[in-house]
Amino acid sequence: MQFGVFSVSDVTTDPTTGRTPTEAERIQAIVRIAEKAEEVGLDVFALGEHHNPPFFSSSPTTTLAYVAARTTRLQLSTATTLITTNDPVKIAEDYAMLQHLAGGRVDLMMGRGNTGPVYPWFGQDIRNGIPLAVENYALLRRLWDEDVVDWSGRFRTPLQGFTSTPRPLDGVAPFVWHGSIRSPQIAEQAAYYGDGFFSNHIFWPKEHTQRMVEFYRQRFEHHGHGSADQAIVGLGGQVFIRRNSQDAVREFRPYFDNAPVYGHGPSLEEFSRETPLTVGSPQQVIERTLGFRDYVGDYQRQLFLVDHAGLPLKTVLEQLDVLGEEVVPVLRREFAALKPAHVPDAPTHASLVAARATTPEEVSA
Amino acid sequence: MTTRTIAVVSAGLSTPSSTRLLADRLATATVAALRERGEDAVVEVVELREHARDLADAFVTGFPNAALRAAVGTVTGADAVLAVTPVFTASYSGLFKSFVDVLEEGALTGKPVLLAATAGTARHSLVLEHAMRPLFAHLRAVTVPTAVFAASEDWAGGDGGELGRRITRAAGELADVVTGRPASARPADPFADVPSFEDLLRGGS
Repeated sequence: MQFGVFSVSDVTTDPTTGRTPTEAERIQAIVRIAEKAEEVGLDVFALGEHHNPPFFSSSPTTTLAYVAARTTRLQLSTATTLITTNDPVKIAEDYAMLQHLAGGRVDLMMGRGNTGPVYPWFGQDIRNGIPLAVENYALLRRLWDEDVVDWSGRFRTPLQGFTSTPRPLDGVAPFVWHGSIRSPQIAEQAAYYGDGFFSNHIFWPKEHTQRMVEFYRQRFEHHGHGSADQAIVGLGGQVFIRRNSQDAVREFRPYFDNAPVYGHGPSLEEFSRETPLTVGSPQQVIERTLGFRDYVGDYQRQLFLVDHAGLPLKTVLEQLDVLGEEVVPVLRREFAALKPAHVPDAPTHASLVAARATTPEEVSA
Repeated sequence: MTTRTIAVVSAGLSTPSSTRLLADRLATATVAALRERGEDAVVEVVELREHARDLADAFVTGFPNAALRAAVGTVTGADAVLAVTPVFTASYSGLFKSFVDVLEEGALTGKPVLLAATAGTARHSLVLEHAMRPLFAHLRAVTVPTAVFAASEDWAGGDGGELGRRITRAAGELADVVTGRPASARPADPFADVPSFEDLLRGGS
């Protein structure tokens, strides 16, 4: 099982000091967080994509390529890549390039983006969110899987005799996850292609995540990619950890109370009951996280959100230390002991290359 | 004998409130009207005051918490709804509208609804027709023709029993609509009709 962190790249005022980091500071901080994730033994670093303040990450492949050069083992991913407003040709090119530079340590998570004004800035309409995600991804797959593509569709100018370069590393496209908070159509899309499904998980009650994952698993089996429990599932999680539970609550509360996404609403305790948010000791985080398996089954990837809501870099790095030293080693052991042998690990470049070598090559039309 | 579920949504704020008083009389009259038509009924009351913070939280977090989910389920799963609000500043109260705002799209489509409101004076009575009825038309609920308004003076009985007659008439109209329908099923499973990906690729959504 893979463990890692994901960042939405928000530039948020620290509510305890009133200080807002500059974009320059946050950009340097995100690189440091990614490096630290590798240092402490985590597997994955995933970065969001946004095209509006207060977020800085408009160009994730630039950042991830830089991180790739400064790491050796870390798997680089996105959270999420906007499959609706990006040109699928540019996604195919950018991420194949990143894949080469990173030695295959790349996968992507597709998302639609829920900010209405972003769509028209890129010539699109949020009301076409699902059809855009469907058409653009279908084209992206062909651009990676076929050397020469003739294509026409509803949303983009046609392509005749087009070859997306560079070709994917070793002829194998990066693995793709599809992220969605509430659209079953996206779970259906992930299932259709045999891709991974990532449930954001952190903003909604667990019953909702459970239903989405269950639906994805059923459809994965329906589309012939394996049994339901072999589908590739990822979950988000949100933690704040101190050795002493009360210290964690006391320190995190002002960040929670003023957080841009859910602040000024429920109490930290209420939100912790309703969602997977866990603020407490390493042991509490371990127990809560192991409990996710009870409602989604054996899953392949767990990403934690740790660098949001104005938390200072120093604190974030301390969180990564605790995750790496005390939490993830236990989770790795416990999840591995529970997982049946026929449930696969999350695909990596190496596993995808190996899988292709054992199956006869498909003839492309 | 069929047993119907009648959900009461009361947005009264004081205890006791005249809004709840009116809601209770409407509920009693509706149960009696259903009995006359050979059907049994149970009444489930949602006091919105108890969910004031849950509603504010739902706006902030984007999802209703467990207590509010239960209240919403009571209303969406009922055979009929009695919607009763005090008049605040020329309309239904903000608390009442907040509850309506957290309902999923389509949650009250086709639902038999009796509208009622309370206020200090009868001058506000058209709030039922100018605010409440358009709101429920938007929700595609089936509102019965008689809406019931109670001003302070109505509780004195000085109207020769007119409030009681309106309550009886409205409850009868609601019972007529309810008895003509199959027992309410819970809202449809949103996952049941997700198009297959082949359909999505062909341009469905």
